[in-house]
Amino acid sequence: MRDSGSEDLIVKMSQVIKEYPLGKLKVQALRGIDLNISRGEFTTIAGPSGSGKTTVLNLIGCVDVPSSGDVQIAGQSTTNLSDKELTHLRLMKIGFIFQSFNLVPVLDVFQNVELPLLLQGELGASERAVRVKEIIARVGLSDQLRQRPNELSGGQRQRVAIARALVTNPALVLADEPTANLDSVTGNTIIELMKELNATQKTTFIFSTHDPKVMRQASRVIRLVDGEIVLDNDGIEGVVEATDGRGEVGS
Amino acid sequence: MSQTQSSLRMISLIAMRNIMSNKVKSSIVASIMVFGTMLLVVGTALLDSVESSMQKVVTSSLTGQLQVYSSQGKDELALFGGLTASLPEIGEIEDFSRIKSSLEEVPNVQAVVPMGLTVSTGSSGNDIDEVLRQLRDAASNNDAQTVASLSGQVREIAGSLLEEYADKEKISNDLNRLDKERAALEEVQKDAFWQDFTQNSQERLLFLDTKIAPLANNGRRFFMRILGTDPQAFKQHFDRFEVVKGEMIPPGQRGVLISKRTHERFLKHRVARELDRIKREIELEGRSLEDDELLQARARRLSRQYRRVTFQLDPSEVAQLEPKLRDILGSEASAKDSIKELIQKFLHVDHSNFDARYDFFYAQVAPMIELYRVNVGDVVPLQSFTRRGYVKAVNVKIWGTFQFKGIEDSDLAGVVNISDLLTFRELYGKMTRAQRAELEALRDSIGVEDISRDSAEDDLFGGSDEIAIVEQDSQESFDEFQDVEVMAREDRIKQVENLTYSQQELEQGLALNAAVILEDPDDIQRTRALINQKIQQDDLKLKVVDWKEAAGLVGQLIVVIQIVLYVAIFIIFLVALVIINNSMVMATTERMAEVGTMRAIGAQRGFILVLFMLETLVLGLGAGFTGALLGVGIIEILGVWGIPAANEIVRFIFAGPRLYPHVSLSNVLIAAGVIFVVSLLSTLYPALIATRIQPVVAMRGRD
Repeated sequence: MRDSGSEDLIVKMSQVIKEYPLGKLKVQALRGIDLNISRGEFTTIAGPSGSGKTTVLNLIGCVDVPSSGDVQIAGQSTTNLSDKELTHLRLMKIGFIFQSFNLVPVLDVFQNVELPLLLQGELGASERAVRVKEIIARVGLSDQLRQRPNELSGGQRQRVAIARALVTNPALVLADEPTANLDSVTGNTIIELMKELNATQKTTFIFSTHDPKVMRQASRVIRLVDGEIVLDNDGIEGVVEATDGRGEVGS
Repeated sequence: MSQTQSSLRMISLIAMRNIMSNKVKSSIVASIMVFGTMLLVVGTALLDSVESSMQKVVTSSLTGQLQVYSSQGKDELALFGGLTASLPEIGEIEDFSRIKSSLEEVPNVQAVVPMGLTVSTGSSGNDIDEVLRQLRDAASNNDAQTVASLSGQVREIAGSLLEEYADKEKISNDLNRLDKERAALEEVQKDAFWQDFTQNSQERLLFLDTKIAPLANNGRRFFMRILGTDPQAFKQHFDRFEVVKGEMIPPGQRGVLISKRTHERFLKHRVARELDRIKREIELEGRSLEDDELLQARARRLSRQYRRVTFQLDPSEVAQLEPKLRDILGSEASAKDSIKELIQKFLHVDHSNFDARYDFFYAQVAPMIELYRVNVGDVVPLQSFTRRGYVKAVNVKIWGTFQFKGIEDSDLAGVVNISDLLTFRELYGKMTRAQRAELEALRDSIGVEDISRDSAEDDLFGGSDEIAIVEQDSQESFDEFQDVEVMAREDRIKQVENLTYSQQELEQGLALNAAVILEDPDDIQRTRALINQKIQQDDLKLKVVDWKEAAGLVGQLIVVIQIVLYVAIFIIFLVALVIINNSMVMATTERMAEVGTMRAIGAQRGFILVLFMLETLVLGLGAGFTGALLGVGIIEILGVWGIPAANEIVRFIFAGPRLYPHVSLSNVLIAAGVIFVVSLLSTLYPALIATRIQPVVAMRGRD
């Protein structure tokens, strides 16, 4: 299923190496990663701190570029894109959900969700309003339309962030530890919301986490250790048990 | 609504809300900008108002909008005075009529008025001549009583002359001569000199005529700056000019109009002049005899001048004045006081009696004394050192006095007296080109610094506050009157009145500079360029300057004020720039995550740039608007109240005792422009930093 036709591949990473300078040394965060993710997947990237999962998300999210190898998003290689082109790619194809929500503090719920649509500049004001209200209703915040982020609870803020990520109908939504700043009950509802949206909208979700409960919700778990994929599993069984093992890549 | 508009609206919204959410920072930045803009509006409006009031005064009194003079001149034209008291050497215009006809062809030129400035010394009759005449009459009539009373007057004069000798010894190098002169004055003071006066009257009168009168004579000379011009054209084109006393110099007639200022301050009786000065300082400068020590000192010195009054009084006048003086002095006068003591006590003015005594002086004393040394209608000999170096003397008729409206009080405006161009030419002593070349070669070869005699005193002993006319105490060993024909007054008047000239004579000849009067007085720089073209084209060998340059130091004053203002404003905005820059850089680091998020979800760098710039711009425009409004308000209020002029120079600059400033749209636009640029500049760097924030920072947790 992961080897299905390339037109269905939303992410294709081949031989991706990422190095960071550390003083005079270079530290390899990723040591040659091959990874394919298809449309509609609900994938989690797991691994201990420093394993490279955030680096993988950054590369998929086009906020960073690989030192070598190639990353393709929806069939387009990001290797030779300019900052401007990368930004455009993010705007059109990718939605982001951040660990600390990252809402614009001076804007209310509606305006925060509207922002990506404004940046895209494709819809008129009335169409925008319809779309924004619709997605806010989907995350259950219709009553908080005119509230500012600091008037909302953490869970509500993350719902706003989810609405913001989804409002443009992106091909891919990236979530970096979306439940890390939430209590477990709230975290669960957020994951369930994401899962529901994945099911109904067919939006591809890729999120990182080190919470086993969250991991269990994923249809696919990719486990990273020391910049290499040590496990790539459709099922959830055995994943938690195998956290210390070193499974074969892609098999 | 278009997308750009929506985005801009969103950006403005974010900007506005960011401003509001950082109230302390925003209000500090805003108040600096409000202050800066206010200062800019007030400053430029004041400067413009001063410039336009000064332009009105300067252009409509002496300079016209433009001035032309020879391009060969060594110095620059300074009609209202330059750095030194000496006249600048601005070269010569040999044939004014050629300049006139050529320049009057230039568009926007209404008229060209010839001018030439020179310095001359004038002299008037003296106190002692009149006394000696009466003494001679009395002696020939054997009228011992009158002789006795007149002898008192002569002794007074000799006494006051003697007092000056202490000062003269300090500056004179001819002590031998001073000793002789003092001996003569002391001789007259002795009783022995007056005993049996009628028997030896011929011998004694000869002594007085030859030894004493010349000494008194030297105190009766004065300097005058004479501006030769075409008097009719001058009157027509300089509308601030008005005749105060007497009449305008009639067409074709020679003569001089003395500035009222010169007449009042330098040709008036010393005591009257001092009284005027005290009154002026009380009224115009708000000082008071009650507590102002400088003014009190001035009043004390006044009472020492009593002799200047007493020696002009003859016995019958004394008899008339004495009871009146006792009356006004009341208990201050004692029974045995002579007229001397009475006058001395009378001149002892203080806060309580000044106004009464001032009025009494003009009502009772002034008619008995010679209030002015030169009066309207007089013909006086003026002498000058010509450019060729010899003394030239001309008899001129004083037709009247004049002033420039609005700046009557100003020393600067009163420095020149006006004559016809022909009188000027005589005083100036026209030099041929060859003679001048010879003189200059000579001067260069001996390397002598060119100090005109008129300014030598100032140059050597420091400036005097009497700019135009300085009482001259120098004692030349040669006879300065050698060129002056001694004539009876009536003959002099007749001779002067017979000297007429035609307009052609006036115009076809020497002038030093010329005022160019424009039809549209605001179109100065363009016309200046046209005139320059014409000068090239007709090979006129002239240079053309605007009124500011032509005025001399005062014209430069406005440039200096301009520089000071701009430097102050520059510093304020520099401070604003640094503060805004710093606070925005800090804001940028505080908002890394926000910016990173925006970048991650697809905002281009340009969006971030506009976002940051707009924030300061909104703040700047808000502050700018408030500041401009405040500035306009201040100027409007000042425009109603008026700004009082603190001293004479300021009165001149303000064209009157108060400046009523006005604000124009350009003042506000300049301020808006400056605040706009400052806002942009101050945020450019932090905004550029913000655009460099990588979207990846949004991915990092905030814990």
